[in-house]
Amino acid sequence: MNIDRRKFVGRSVAGVAGMLAGSHLKGMVVPGRRKEEQEDDFSSGLQQYDLMKEVMKYRKIDAHAHIYWTKDSPETQLNYGRRLGIEKQVISRYLDVMPGTPEQFRKFNDLTIKAIKQYPGQLLGGFVLNPAYKQESLDEIKRCTDAGMIGPGELYYQVKINDPKYYPIIEKLIDLKMIIHSHAECQLGVGGYRMKYNGHKEPNTSIPEDFVDIAKRYPEGIFQFAHIGMGGDWEYECKMFRDYPNIYVDTSGSNNAENMIDFAVEHLGEDRLFFASDNSYYQGVGKILASNLTEAQKKKVFFDNYNNLLKKGGRGVD
Amino acid sequence: MLIDINAYVGHWPFMQLKYNNCASLVERMNKFGVELSVISNLNGIFYKNTQSANRELYEELKSLGKNRKRFIPFGVINPIYAGWQYDLKECVEKFGMKGFRVYPKYHDYEITDPSLIELVKSVRDMNLPVAFNYKMVDSRQRSWMDIDYVAYTLKPEWSLKNIFPIIKAVPDAKYMILNVTNSMQLDEADAALFNKANVLMDTSGRTLNSLGDLLKTQGKERFAFGTHSPILDYLTGMLRIEALRASEADASVKELLRSGNAKKFLEL
Repeated sequence: MNIDRRKFVGRSVAGVAGMLAGSHLKGMVVPGRRKEEQEDDFSSGLQQYDLMKEVMKYRKIDAHAHIYWTKDSPETQLNYGRRLGIEKQVISRYLDVMPGTPEQFRKFNDLTIKAIKQYPGQLLGGFVLNPAYKQESLDEIKRCTDAGMIGPGELYYQVKINDPKYYPIIEKLIDLKMIIHSHAECQLGVGGYRMKYNGHKEPNTSIPEDFVDIAKRYPEGIFQFAHIGMGGDWEYECKMFRDYPNIYVDTSGSNNAENMIDFAVEHLGEDRLFFASDNSYYQGVGKILASNLTEAQKKKVFFDNYNNLLKKGGRGVD
Repeated sequence: MLIDINAYVGHWPFMQLKYNNCASLVERMNKFGVELSVISNLNGIFYKNTQSANRELYEELKSLGKNRKRFIPFGVINPIYAGWQYDLKECVEKFGMKGFRVYPKYHDYEITDPSLIELVKSVRDMNLPVAFNYKMVDSRQRSWMDIDYVAYTLKPEWSLKNIFPIIKAVPDAKYMILNVTNSMQLDEADAALFNKANVLMDTSGRTLNSLGDLLKTQGKERFAFGTHSPILDYLTGMLRIEALRASEADASVKELLRSGNAKKFLEL
């Protein structure tokens, strides 16, 4: 066996120290070893880490990204993607207007259609709609699917995901074997658990309990809970979804809390996470690489989990 | 070589943290190739008498053996608490602290409080830096028991405008501004003064997503690698540097960001 003994011992001691992490190591000496030996081992442990090599090692589909009305879009988003080895970005222009009329969502989807036509190799399109307009939404699904979109982009806050108005839309999306992706907040406020600041959130924004409700009604549906890193309480969200295997979470958002990914895998399993950025590209990649997931698990999260579901609808990436 | 200018040990009262002591942080540093870390004790934010936290850190570092050399300890001082002047001296002379962190929001004083000004001047006279940050945790998921500077409310998270008054009051001190997550906008006169100040910002905050552009406007010597570990993940701050293109930062500039600027600023 070709193992450098010194490195092996050093890593082992470091591992023991890590296991004792919660025990306040003041003056603590690993049993059976002289303190001087440990000091030597600790100082020999620095390893070379080529971050960009790790970044580029994994194929990536960004399951939640956006384009904007600005002139630099989608080039700016594509530039981040090239920088970080993101092969495909699932983009949408989320419907951040009220009331979200058919005219409005068609206009928003036109922007996405234009972008995916321009960059068919790098962008996958997600459409938006408003279930308050049932027939127009069903018509829009057909129009956008015919234009090459892969499913809904981030559906927004006009109607809660478990509202009966959504049922015919969800049934259509299930027929088409599409991933049902919706914006969500942990609670309708800001300021954390038991929020007391309204934060000007729209009252029909979906929350984890709404996802659970709809996932129970449609166990054959595939639901994507948006951005566990958007600032909601990700521990709460992951614990809420533990027993609902048809709820997947995307890892996007500007918050890159340490341990978020490990916690999510612990509670949801390695198959129910999608790598995503919500345009916070560095945080999106960094939090997964910093996790303790194995190489095989990272491969799943960065690419395979999402692609395997796309394949079910015949929309997989080769 | 990598030097992390923004790491912590200790506890956050509202959420369990991983890798939050020196031994587990060393593992993290070893795994990801980080040679040195500036650390302070999170407990100092919550203890009324911050010196207890500084002593904890000192004791923990003592227990590390040779690995204590991997850390550059910063003390936490509350300048409106009795005896801080003694604490400051003890931190430097006995505990070997190389700088100080202050938390005006958590310790509930204004950025222009005369006590803070006195503290910053004292630290300046020791030729040491004083570190401020925009925020500790994302306010959107804070505990209801945490401070009430909350995004999207009338009392929002801090931006550079909230920190700048102390720089204006003591323009010749050395400042670290960490976890830069909101606006860096200042009016023209203040921006000119800020640009002249001796400031080092770390790469842990999300505003640094545009580091390539910031290098053009702020210069190549005002940024350094930082993690905000263990609250934020260990690699995103590093990624903002390593993913820079050659047209944005050549090899020499990347070395400045990895360790050169930190070495110069901290006089290592």
